[in-house]
Amino acid sequence: MKKTIGSFLCVAVLGAIGAPALAQTSGGLVVEFQGPGGHSNGNYGRTSALHAAGRSLILLQKAGLPPGSYTVSALQGGNSVNSIASDGHYEVALTAADPTAYEGLVAQVTAAAKAGADAENAFRGVKEGDLTAGAPATIRYTVTPK
Amino acid sequence: MAERLSNLRLLFLASALVLTACGGSDNDPPPAPPPGGEVEPPAPPPPPPPPAPPPSSSNVPTISPEVVAAAEKITSDAQVAAVVQDLLTPENAKGRFNQHMELVRIASPSRYEYRMAAEIHRRMAGEWGFSPDEVKTSADGNLPGSDVQIVDGMPVYNACVEIKGSYSSTPGAQSYNGQFPKVLVESHIDVVNPEVLPPDSNPYQPIRLQPISQPIVTLPSELDMIADQLAFDAGGRIVEDSNYAQASRWFKDANAARDGGGVRRYVPGIGDAMGNTTGVMTLAQMMKKHNIKPVYDIWICGTAGEEGKGNLAGMKQLYGYDQDRGTGTNPLNFVTNFGNEGGGSINFLGSYRFEMKYKAPATPGPNQPSALEAMAATVAKIADVRTPSELREGAPRTTYTVGQASCEAPASGSTVVPSCTILVDMRSPLTETLDEVRAAIEPLFQAGVSDENARYGAAEGSAQAVTKELVWFGLRPAHVNQDKSDIAIQAGWQAAQTVGVDKQTQLDTGAGSLNDNVPAAIGVPTYNWNLASTAGSGGTHAFWEWSTRGNPDMEALRIQRAMTAALISAGFHAADGTVVPPLAGPIGPRTAQVQ
Repeated sequence: MKKTIGSFLCVAVLGAIGAPALAQTSGGLVVEFQGPGGHSNGNYGRTSALHAAGRSLILLQKAGLPPGSYTVSALQGGNSVNSIASDGHYEVALTAADPTAYEGLVAQVTAAAKAGADAENAFRGVKEGDLTAGAPATIRYTVTPK
Repeated sequence: MAERLSNLRLLFLASALVLTACGGSDNDPPPAPPPGGEVEPPAPPPPPPPPAPPPSSSNVPTISPEVVAAAEKITSDAQVAAVVQDLLTPENAKGRFNQHMELVRIASPSRYEYRMAAEIHRRMAGEWGFSPDEVKTSADGNLPGSDVQIVDGMPVYNACVEIKGSYSSTPGAQSYNGQFPKVLVESHIDVVNPEVLPPDSNPYQPIRLQPISQPIVTLPSELDMIADQLAFDAGGRIVEDSNYAQASRWFKDANAARDGGGVRRYVPGIGDAMGNTTGVMTLAQMMKKHNIKPVYDIWICGTAGEEGKGNLAGMKQLYGYDQDRGTGTNPLNFVTNFGNEGGGSINFLGSYRFEMKYKAPATPGPNQPSALEAMAATVAKIADVRTPSELREGAPRTTYTVGQASCEAPASGSTVVPSCTILVDMRSPLTETLDEVRAAIEPLFQAGVSDENARYGAAEGSAQAVTKELVWFGLRPAHVNQDKSDIAIQAGWQAAQTVGVDKQTQLDTGAGSLNDNVPAAIGVPTYNWNLASTAGSGGTHAFWEWSTRGNPDMEALRIQRAMTAALISAGFHAADGTVVPPLAGPIGPRTAQVQ
């Protein structure tokens, strides 16, 4: 894996979430991960967006959200058994007692998304700016309102 | 449960197979040593044995004098020279480029290759001059002569033609179960992307063009925004517009392309492997057009099921490979195999592939374990696995990935995800290390379930617990070469030397995972190379798969090399009336008999 310094793209679209979050107590989020993908054997060692999504969900479990405050659906990613997944995706439905609590839930989901991406990047030893075959080597993530 | 038992049995047999397949076949003993050099017609070629150099333990094959002589005779032959001259013309290079683009845009996910196979069949009969009896496969996936027609419950959409040889009409010609010897030259026609066959109304993928000087796209949405595309008419023929002029320019390498205004052509399959498959199909066209006459029959095939869940279905049909028994009957009697994808691999990675389904509790309700989160727990656990080659120096390279995951949507009005499914791939060149990584990963399928049930205090197996089941098990048999001078390696190696392309100084003793796994596992000598020529490429198996056209003369030489190797093995009626005898024996190996 060739590593060079470049721009690191790790996007949490909190800006788009923040304004409506102040006024709502329930809603949905789409959490997406993007990685370089590749051949399962030939490119082994690259980060997997699907692995990052799985890591993120388990970290969300451990984040201590109130019981019944979230439901996860639509976990998916990858395009074939013999490919490293270049995409990962899940959706979260959130329910909070008040807008402030809702905003807190959004922040926890976003933190779990970041933590999942960070964990996958760390496990595969890649960092901001690394490239693989000219493409970003790291997992990037977005959290957007559904 | 029956499925699980069957799979356990399969794995046991597969492991045993790896230990026994290298010992050759249980067929008739090899015939007498070959006559040297050429023989004069009309005397029929005698029953030819394999060449007889001692097995080489070095990483350079021992090439017999007969193989060297055959390669030189074939290369200097007038008809072969006509093929090469044809391949080197601008018209032929243009035809190959056009064919490559016209075929690669046909979406052809593994096990759903029937549109690609249909178009190749149409061209075989309608454009390349093959008669119906020379086209050996059919639109319904049936392959006469094979004892495997269905793999993993589905038809197999291979596309094969035959270059008819003379051997079957020779008095005393040997056969297996009525099948005369054949040499197989193949490359696969399936792709990783798209994963689902698009509808009949839109069967094609766009071929987008981007200056190679620009950064590679990083998101599918960026790729979708590239406006420049190759155009095709209503008949599927490429339109020679300004984009065509740009995309068809070739360059020596990526730097030259960058300096010279070259473009990336983005489309799944452009490298893996339609460039090679176009070369294979060109070989068929050229051998037919120039009336190249082998002694044994040569089959030239586009094969199904190399990628994804394809499970090497195309090769399993051609070689009669029984997945439950881990044996192959070689019903069509192939004596040598040449794969046109790979870099000269002689050892082949074994792989285990699992499709696991996680199911919601039988009586789902609120505050119960989730199939989705059980699967997520499994994915997260697998993501932390270190393979033998990561754990200790000297262990063979061993890899894995959770390649794909998906979940059913909840029923209307419900939040309960009914089920989720993952696909996991594991690979290693040795059964021992493959089994080692399997032993690390397989328990994690259940561990995710147990963790999720434990979160809710649900007893395993209860109606309130999530469960899992094995949906599909994939097997690529492993093989470690025991004879670095078998006829396939000799022919492929010497053909490269004599033609002067892709010459190697040593055999590649790393391991590949290719269509060759199947013939190798049942003892049929096999060797491989690539035919395509690119100035740059990347993104294999990813949404950003691309290539920039390379020197077409390299393609021509590589196709010549493939033809030379096939003719060394199959034998050749030269233009001067002499015959280069086949250097493969007439009875191919097998590990089970046709019933």
